Amino acid sequence: MFSNNRTGWLLLSPTIIILLIMGLVPFFYVLYVGFFKWNPLAVDPSMQFEGFGFNYRRLIFDEVFLASIWRSIKFSVVTLFFELGLGFILALSLLSSFPLKSFFRGVHTLPLVIAPIVVGSIFKLFTVQGLGPLPHLLKDYFGYTLNYGLNADQAFWMIVIMDIWHWTPFVTLTLLAGLSALPQDPYESAKIDGANNFQIFIYITIPMMVPVLIVVIFIRLMDSLKIVDEVWMLTGGGPGYATRFTGIHIWKEVFEKRFYGLGSAMSILYLYITIVICWLLYSVMVSRGKNED
Amino acid sequence: MKIRKLFGKILTTLLWSVLTIITLFPIYWMVLVSTRTPVELFGKPDLSPTFLNKIHWKNFTKPFIDGIYSDYLINSIIVATSNALLVTTLALMATYALSRFKLPGSESIFFWTMTNRMAPPAAFMLPLFLLFSTVFKFGDFTLFDTRIGLILLYCVFNLPFAIWLLKGIIDGIPKELDEAMIVDGANIFTIFWKLIIPLAAPGIAVTSLLSFLFAWNEYLLASTLTSVYARTIPTGLSEFVTTTGTNWGTMAAVALVSMIPALLFLFLVQRYIVAGLTFGAVKG
Amino acid sequence: MKNLIIALVASTFSFAAMADGHAEWWKKAGAPYAGTVLQGVAENTPPGQFAGEVLAKEFEALTGIKVQLENTSWDSMYDKAIKDMEANSGIYDFVYIEQDIVYDYLNRDFLVNITQGLANNPDLQAPGVSLDDFTTFIDYFKDGSGDVFGVPMEAFIKVYLYRKDLFEAADAKAAFRAQYGYGLTPATSFDQYRDNAEFFTHYCADKGMECWGTTVQGHTGHPASTYEFLESIGPSFGLYNWGVNMDNYHSCVEDGGQLNGGRAKAALNFWTQLLPFAPPEALQSTWSEVGASFAAGRAAQGWVYGENAAWIATDAEKSAVVGNVGVMLPPTAPGVMTQAASGNGYIGYFDGGAYGIPHSSKNIEATMLWLQYVALNDHQADWAIAGGRITHKDTYADPKVLAVDEQADGYFSLMRDTGFLYAGAPPFPFHGAGRGAIDPFIYSALAGEMTPEEALDGACKALDQVMSDLGYQG
Repeated sequence: MFSNNRTGWLLLSPTIIILLIMGLVPFFYVLYVGFFKWNPLAVDPSMQFEGFGFNYRRLIFDEVFLASIWRSIKFSVVTLFFELGLGFILALSLLSSFPLKSFFRGVHTLPLVIAPIVVGSIFKLFTVQGLGPLPHLLKDYFGYTLNYGLNADQAFWMIVIMDIWHWTPFVTLTLLAGLSALPQDPYESAKIDGANNFQIFIYITIPMMVPVLIVVIFIRLMDSLKIVDEVWMLTGGGPGYATRFTGIHIWKEVFEKRFYGLGSAMSILYLYITIVICWLLYSVMVSRGKNED
Repeated sequence: MKIRKLFGKILTTLLWSVLTIITLFPIYWMVLVSTRTPVELFGKPDLSPTFLNKIHWKNFTKPFIDGIYSDYLINSIIVATSNALLVTTLALMATYALSRFKLPGSESIFFWTMTNRMAPPAAFMLPLFLLFSTVFKFGDFTLFDTRIGLILLYCVFNLPFAIWLLKGIIDGIPKELDEAMIVDGANIFTIFWKLIIPLAAPGIAVTSLLSFLFAWNEYLLASTLTSVYARTIPTGLSEFVTTTGTNWGTMAAVALVSMIPALLFLFLVQRYIVAGLTFGAVKG
Repeated sequence: MKNLIIALVASTFSFAAMADGHAEWWKKAGAPYAGTVLQGVAENTPPGQFAGEVLAKEFEALTGIKVQLENTSWDSMYDKAIKDMEANSGIYDFVYIEQDIVYDYLNRDFLVNITQGLANNPDLQAPGVSLDDFTTFIDYFKDGSGDVFGVPMEAFIKVYLYRKDLFEAADAKAAFRAQYGYGLTPATSFDQYRDNAEFFTHYCADKGMECWGTTVQGHTGHPASTYEFLESIGPSFGLYNWGVNMDNYHSCVEDGGQLNGGRAKAALNFWTQLLPFAPPEALQSTWSEVGASFAAGRAAQGWVYGENAAWIATDAEKSAVVGNVGVMLPPTAPGVMTQAASGNGYIGYFDGGAYGIPHSSKNIEATMLWLQYVALNDHQADWAIAGGRITHKDTYADPKVLAVDEQADGYFSLMRDTGFLYAGAPPFPFHGAGRGAIDPFIYSALAGEMTPEEALDGACKALDQVMSDLGYQG
């Protein structure tokens, strides 16, 4: 049976059909529209072909767009850094036993199942001036004024904290899965050789965890680079441009200003950048997988 | 040594306690908000558990009993469960095919299918809207504002992920076992039912959970592609932001209720999660 | 909620009263379309809820035609209506046309000409419905020849709201006179507005009360702030039509516009300098939060949308300041009032919207029946009470409305008498794109990242760029 590829393609076909129709066709549409100057609010609301001229050439020099890309990358890297660090520590701690471990782990996983738009609402409720308890607590106990409508840095870090709250459980669980599946032999040899805990961690645990780490980075990067819902609820992209990540920027161009052509070109460019970053990671993953075979 | 271990345990418990408080604090506040009237929300936030004395039940009854949110809830349940089922089934079939058969170009195909998940959603809403309302037209029936439309669409985001999750696990089931069963006269259904599914249980559990969660929580596409009939809960949440004041109490109530089915699902598949999340990166 | 129940009960009575007269006509007119489902999309507002929950049910009982109204958020509503009309997908039978988008829709010929439609189908002309019953607000939904493309269902003016209890407090009056040298009254000039704001901020702080001198609709990430500047503050300083020169579609002073001119700068400076006297949530406040802040008693005065004025003054379930709300025309710069009165300017924003029928609708006739039902005089009074809006001339005199009017310190009377001083958004088909270009500069000015002068210079350039890209500069 396994020499008959037909069964294989048959099994694979429903997947391919759905992905082609619902995934590839819209993609080509967006690619196509990116070559046109199209805004329904214009004097001429029809699609006008421009090739690379109008949209792409303009975007390459568009400071606001480039700044939003830089901002998105900065956001993703920063949150990733904290999520990896925190997630690793937590995963390690979950390997041993301590009181109420299941309870703690269960609560930790809770934010993961909450919808992004709900997470945004929860944080807005919690941190907004005039309604939320956090500004009062910070003012009364630490003398710190939290007003991210005013303070660009506070807005940025608020979103970072929100993302960490939401997604660290995913990192923790995946790293835990990886740690639980590690072979024990290298550890035993190391103990016999007299290595201490720190050396074991650096020279044995981390290298063996690299494949899992790359997977986690890949997935988190992919998702955080296009964050929209939570930021929208919390700051709307403000103050000014402070939290205007590329996802939000494209949203505003397409929905508020109706620049369909420009928005499509932006999406393609941004997707290209995301793909390049992810492809690099993916290749490393695949080549490592091959090496271990 | 024992004191070191004890100290380590205390530290760990302390760390997790602080973490739990940080995790639960905002949710606790949301619970408080959902039990209060709009006027009670004015002024300095009151952190005491007032819900022990008084609950403003209208925040819960208005959307679910007087309003259409129970319909939204049902829609969400149908869409999310169906999608989870569909994705898991198709993904199992697909990974089995990729694992057991030589299908050229499969690795590149896999990466390119992931690009759908990488794309910023805003620009894709227009082509999807057009596809749903004008291209997929069968007489009077279009995919717009239908649950089946959402179920099919979410496959685009969930399938690549599911395939990735399951592939490592399916690869880990030796081909010899299949061949032994074939020799005994089994057909492909029996192989799936008796061999693949039991052994891949952790992967199946995680796949269905993550697919369910994605479909349950998805907001942007659902709000564009549905109108009245197929509306899901996240879309309904945006309706509380009105010109005359965001109805925080009701919004919190609906948000809380919307967390419940997802929590239930999570609870069901809890013990499989860790085993299922290896993504094939670790040979286990 | 209480209002809705009252409205439901009242409407049943008026329904019964009408039953003698025209019920037969509606049943006959609706017969050929019985069983049809009309789909509409609108913004989620109390008037919209009344239409969807009360009027739709009555209409269905009368005619057998079912009306389903999708009430959704402001941006989502636009998006879906426009997408449907552009793609001709026939999803919606009626759409909400906010006053500022009507120019775009008319420009692109999206809507059915209702006047013509009724002229061509005299059988569909409902008795007791006349498009002349509407206030002048309906003029926004007419084309050059006076044909109607939208049936107004809500209209409000953005007024100046103040706290009567604070302004009449004896100690406040004494302290104010001592500090500023003149009497404490609701503001009639910008300097006085600022003095009031400053005074009450300190007054409240000294007394340990959570209140401030003024609201500011200053969300640094949402268009609401740009709107407050362009629609209310700007015009009251004499900045009309966003400072766009309507002959050459340029907005910078260097090219004949006004957006970075003296009046605009005065307006933006005044407005941003109010921030220290506003509650801390001002920089996260859209129209909803401004209403909520005022209702919570957190501001002594403010520019507040009309649809909020009514419930803030009367609904004890949602407002903590019932009975203490005063309503007035906002302060204006010298000369602006005269300009507005003579039709050469305006003092603020006439908000509102209508229901229109897209060409792509598959049930145009049935929808025309529905829209005429919406236009009936009979239920306008209940609608006014439920939603704080008035679209018909006769409603002002209705005794029920007069009763609420008294409670709301004469908001409705104010609209009746001074509505002509207000105007809707300027006739810009590029409204969305243009405003979107100005947004980031207003946000930056509010956040203190740019001076108002820099912000306006940047804004006018960005707006000009958009108008050029879209082909309006010829």
